[in-house]
Amino acid sequence: MGKLIINEWIKIFRKISTSAMIGMLLLSVIGIGALFKYQEETNPMQDNPNWEQDIEAQITSDQENLTSIGGNNTQLKMHYERQIALNQYRLQHDIAPESEQHIWSFVGDAQPLISLAGLFTIIVAAGIVASEFSSGTIKLLLIRPINRMKILLSKYLTVLLFGVSMLAIIYLFSSIVGLILFGLPSSDVSHLAYSNGEVVERNVAINLVGEYFLSSIDLLMIATMAFMISSVFRNSSFAVGISLFLLFMGGTATMLLASRFEWAKYILFANTDLSVYFDGVPPIDGMTLSFSIFMLLVYFFIFHLFAFGVFAKRDVAA
Amino acid sequence: MSAVLTLENVSKTIKGKKIINDLSLSVNEGEIFGLLGPNGAGKTTTIRMIVGLMGITKGDIIVSGKSVNKDFEGAVQHIGAIVENPEMYKHLTGYQNLRQYARMHKGITKQKINEVIKLVQLSERIDEKVRTYSLGMRQRLGLAQCLLHDPKLLILDEPTNGLDPAGIREIRDHLRMLTKEKQMSVIVSSHLLSEMEMMCDRIAIIQQGSLTDVQQVRGFVNDDLLDYFIETGSLNDAMDWLQTDWNAVITAQGFTIKAKKEDIPTLLKRLIDSDIAVYSANQIVKTLEDRFLEVTAQKGEIE
Ligand SMILES: Nc1ncnc2c1ncn2[C@@H]1O[C@H](COP(=O)(O)OP(=O)(O)O)[C@@H](O)[C@H]1O
Ligand SMILES: [Mg+2]
Repeated sequence: MGKLIINEWIKIFRKISTSAMIGMLLLSVIGIGALFKYQEETNPMQDNPNWEQDIEAQITSDQENLTSIGGNNTQLKMHYERQIALNQYRLQHDIAPESEQHIWSFVGDAQPLISLAGLFTIIVAAGIVASEFSSGTIKLLLIRPINRMKILLSKYLTVLLFGVSMLAIIYLFSSIVGLILFGLPSSDVSHLAYSNGEVVERNVAINLVGEYFLSSIDLLMIATMAFMISSVFRNSSFAVGISLFLLFMGGTATMLLASRFEWAKYILFANTDLSVYFDGVPPIDGMTLSFSIFMLLVYFFIFHLFAFGVFAKRDVAA
Repeated sequence: MSAVLTLENVSKTIKGKKIINDLSLSVNEGEIFGLLGPNGAGKTTTIRMIVGLMGITKGDIIVSGKSVNKDFEGAVQHIGAIVENPEMYKHLTGYQNLRQYARMHKGITKQKINEVIKLVQLSERIDEKVRTYSLGMRQRLGLAQCLLHDPKLLILDEPTNGLDPAGIREIRDHLRMLTKEKQMSVIVSSHLLSEMEMMCDRIAIIQQGSLTDVQQVRGFVNDDLLDYFIETGSLNDAMDWLQTDWNAVITAQGFTIKAKKEDIPTLLKRLIDSDIAVYSANQIVKTLEDRFLEVTAQKGEIE
């Protein structure tokens, strides 16, 4: 399996388009860095001397909101409870909200680039099977003493590895750029997390790794779908087209449906954004984190059932 | 002689259409076996089933004792093949392509790769991108890819397609050498008779998915009864017994007959005893082309 993955890896990284993708990621990180640096220079953020009063005001307003909703909306209730707990923790331990830019705040700011990494991963996923068919090289690949399932699995694992590498590039490169442009934080910072009704301090760098992965879930699902389409229809432009269309339109269309129909909660895109359960409101009342995770697993399983089922059985006439 | 490959009543149906119909044949160790048939006869489909690219609708294929149906990996490890065109990764160099395939078999050393590159005479261009290769070079790289794991059976689908006569000759010499030196068996397919005649030891003719005939190339051209042309002077009375006893066809310069080789001295003695001037006696060698047309025409009549 290791050797098969090496093969796939070499095939991807010898392509000019892959170098272009990595180049674009690096440039985007530098671009965002330059933009933030410019903002910081032109209007430097000031420490807020009255932060304690502001936070107290925030707590009062949150508590009013909490009582006005009552127990109707558990999701919102949790949201307010979390806000209040975090703010009270700040007051007790004298932790002012961050106002300076530093390496870790920049790594956090670079997160929107994950969509770009996802886009590239989808393109790779859509091509990794289909391109073997369009070039005819699938014939030389499948006449080896290796099970077809193994070959397809090595391709899927390579897609995952590619996606993780893209995330790693953004994370590592943005920490380098962040360090150069903004330096280390002036005092120890840690991330305040709210879990099981308690506020805990976490290492920022590690917490960011978690955030990166959490915000890649929808991209993982769409890349898996692109991989499935690529394997079933054996046509990479079709796979890229459908996947990108769904990536851009799927969320919007699902939200439209969700406002009218309950069954919209079974749609893939209603479940891909898990952050709503930590910090926000789910698209349909009554959806829970475990429901969404279950739905994601079901879709994941179905995609692979199609991908592997068709790939293993169908005649190759390329 | 043991069989490296056996097709046992193999049929293939695609979308309700019978493409291959109850095909049985076997290929022996060290022989070059030809699959001959017009375009669309089912040669490529047969090859796709042997190498596992297509499922076998009915029957089974045995490679070196292993069933393609039951033990695909076991069977295919003895095969090296090019199906239709030798498609390689164009954005990789020839060497990188070979490394790809080397990683998919057990125990192929760099030394082995270099040996194969030398064998197909690609050493000079092996580090260039395949994109820049000519068709002939791609064929040779395809051949190198087949040979990496020392297969017992080499399968080449229309290997001479699009090659110039020099390229065709090159392929032919390679195949001869491989069967002689490495005891490899080779299957080549083609729709061109003349090439098969020069390349193969035995030829199977496939028409519309069915096996029409399998023949030794020598035997394919010659029957037991050979055709002879005897050049003579005036035949006079001999004409009678020639026609009645030998079924001779009389021409201006002599006559032609069908006869066994060992009967010719008897015939010549009788002619000389009858005072007939005999200038020459030649066997008329039928080309494979003539024979092919005969076989296919007969088949046509039966249907
Ligand atoms: N995937 C396929 N679907 C439908 N028909 C096919 C397919 N592959 C081959 N055929 C048909 O099978 C027949 C044999 O094709 P093929 O094996 O390529 O012939 P050959 O290689 O002898 O020229 C042709 O009539 C062709 O149209
Ligand atoms: Mg063909």
